[in-house]
Amino acid sequence: MSVDTSSMTVTAVRNRPRRRSYDAQTREWIAAYLFILPDTLGLLVFVGLPMLFALIIGVFDVNGFGSFAFVGLANYRRMAADPLFWHCLRVTAIYVVLLVPSLYVTGLGLALLVQRTNRFNAVMRSMFFAPQMVSLVVIAVIWQFLSADKIGLFARIFSFFGIGGVSLLGNPSLALITTVFVTVWFLMGFYMMIFLGGLQDIPRQYYEAATIDGASPRQQFWHITMPLLRPTSFFVLLVSLVAAVAGSQAFDLIYVMTRGGPANATSVMITYIYQQAFQYSAFGYAAAMSSILVVVLMLLTGVLFFMTRGGRFDYE
Amino acid sequence: MTKFDRPAGSPRSSLLMPTRRSLLAGGAVLAGSAVLSAPYVSRAYAAETLKFWQFYAPGGEVKPQVDWFTAMVDSWNAQNETKVELVYVPNSEYMSGSKLSTAFASGQGPDIFVISPGDFLRYYNGGVLLDLTPFITPEAQADFPEGVIASRKVDGKIYGVPMELEPMAFYYSKKAFEDAKLGESDIPKTWDELLEVAKKLTTGDRYGVLFETGPGYYQNFTWYPFMWQGGGEFQGADGKSAFNSPGVVQALKLWQDAINSGAAPRQLLGGGGGDIAANLGSGYCAMQNVGIWGISAMDNNAKDVPYGIFKLPVPAGGKYVTVGGGWAFVANAKGANTEMSGKFVAWALASMDKDSIQREVDWCTVAKSDMPTRTSALKLGGDAFQKGNLGIFSRDILPGTRGEPRLPPEVYKIISDAIQQTQLGGADPQATAAAASQQLDAFLATYKGAPML
Repeated sequence: MSVDTSSMTVTAVRNRPRRRSYDAQTREWIAAYLFILPDTLGLLVFVGLPMLFALIIGVFDVNGFGSFAFVGLANYRRMAADPLFWHCLRVTAIYVVLLVPSLYVTGLGLALLVQRTNRFNAVMRSMFFAPQMVSLVVIAVIWQFLSADKIGLFARIFSFFGIGGVSLLGNPSLALITTVFVTVWFLMGFYMMIFLGGLQDIPRQYYEAATIDGASPRQQFWHITMPLLRPTSFFVLLVSLVAAVAGSQAFDLIYVMTRGGPANATSVMITYIYQQAFQYSAFGYAAAMSSILVVVLMLLTGVLFFMTRGGRFDYE
Repeated sequence: MTKFDRPAGSPRSSLLMPTRRSLLAGGAVLAGSAVLSAPYVSRAYAAETLKFWQFYAPGGEVKPQVDWFTAMVDSWNAQNETKVELVYVPNSEYMSGSKLSTAFASGQGPDIFVISPGDFLRYYNGGVLLDLTPFITPEAQADFPEGVIASRKVDGKIYGVPMELEPMAFYYSKKAFEDAKLGESDIPKTWDELLEVAKKLTTGDRYGVLFETGPGYYQNFTWYPFMWQGGGEFQGADGKSAFNSPGVVQALKLWQDAINSGAAPRQLLGGGGGDIAANLGSGYCAMQNVGIWGISAMDNNAKDVPYGIFKLPVPAGGKYVTVGGGWAFVANAKGANTEMSGKFVAWALASMDKDSIQREVDWCTVAKSDMPTRTSALKLGGDAFQKGNLGIFSRDILPGTRGEPRLPPEVYKIISDAIQQTQLGGADPQATAAAASQQLDAFLATYKGAPML
């Protein structure tokens, strides 16, 4: 008996239950989640998992050569008794207190100076942003040379004014301030661009109305510009705070310019963590310190979010 | 209709007309097999090719050193099936970067690499240094003076073969001495004279004397002889800290006085205290504390600067001692082919073959300016080690050389902080030595690794 298989297949295909179709909103949700899926996976694999791993190895003695020994909270106890850990935490705090407001003020100041669109301002914007195009290591080497004792540019300027023997990177009381100065010089162009975006979002009519009402430029700045810049300010403060505490920018500069010296004066947490992990092979201890740094960072950003009610602003 | 056209509703052949699903499945299988087979392929390659990490070749800037390494590896590769490949890691990254550490942490450490005594215990205690003793004949083992190889041995076994001996000395600019109306008779022999002459040599744009100021292994290495000269030690015979002693305090004070007097800089040029061309060569200082490698550095990079060399001055009532550092070839005990790694290291630097001895002579006289680590090389080199500036090192500086100590990172850090706090932080040397000594005792009481030397 012969069977017509081709017609059976066609019938089977026709009788197959149709796929359930979702309504438009659900499809939109699915599409949205699919779009953010690669980013989410990337974050989980390259940020989430390493963080979890760091938390775990914080309770192990890891020598960096394949040896893992569970030590419980020994790394945390060592941290509590390590004077250098507390010293580095204090240096980091000073660094943050100096850096974050400086970046805010210089970024906003530069943005206000070059916010009008003309050729001169376009050139100035490019110049302020130019350091971002150069490697941090190159910048550190250049500043190291400029601030050299006796023969460096700054030493010669000081000497011209009768101030001799100034060592910007070799004197513990000046080295951290010099490092902050270089970091601000490097980053201010970047934050200027962010503030420029914020300033351009403020409708010009507000200023025109204020001018008609007789408001001075200072009044306009405090009563129009600053309130309407709150979301940008929040973003700048958050990003610069994270960068300062985590040392994402500080590390290269400090490592090349001072290696954490002189006398640990520029040894921020991230340089100490790096030193413990990669120079002393104390990966467990370094991971434990990193965990504490994350907690500090979460607390600080939490305070920032709390103060701004999660980054929401009155006028929104 | 061609034979490849599919009638509507007919089943598709997965080979001729792949569906999207079959394509994805096929791709996944291919990718999976590639990923799964990669380790086996790379392991097979690794077993055949030994990676040799160092900071000289093939990307180094000093041609004679690049040539020396390249010739050595070419010679080995011509005679052996298992090849050696040079992997260049820039000096700064090699010494204080993360490349070597992360490679070992991920189980991808090099088969062969170079280390200094300052890093020996970190790698030995980590269990990654191969015992090279079985690959070196007793005759060749005896060719290395005990003082030279001791810091690379544990329990009588050799874990590293030193390629050079680099004693520290002072270099001075003859022109700076002339400008200050000083002659050879003014070359300092004591610490007091050193500070006095340094002050005379200091001008508006030049420092009289230069010591390393950057924290790290190198600064410790350069400071040790000043500690030893006054009888100071970091550890006593009883295994406890000996850091709180007059010898240590006066060595800390010497470096502090040099800075406080304004005769020594806080910040150095170029690569720091070991970079003689950038400092003495550029006229930034008149006297610099540098090792024997300064000869070739000056001859190559500051040819027009006349210079002289003198041995380290001693404190009142002290005894002359200098420190001899130098790098060593080591093999990874967890490498893919430890047998051949060990053979290579022994063949390169620790064989009684004439080529091996000549290689050592060439490294010390052609590629660099160093003292040899082998008695036979010193003999074979003959006049090369007795003439000129190398001769000054052989005759005046080498006798009295003590090997660079090998210390675990924790000890090195305590000493480094003490030097930094006194030299640049202005801390009281006596109080700093006492505090550091307490920290050392706390660590030494719990230390379980190989003996410190």
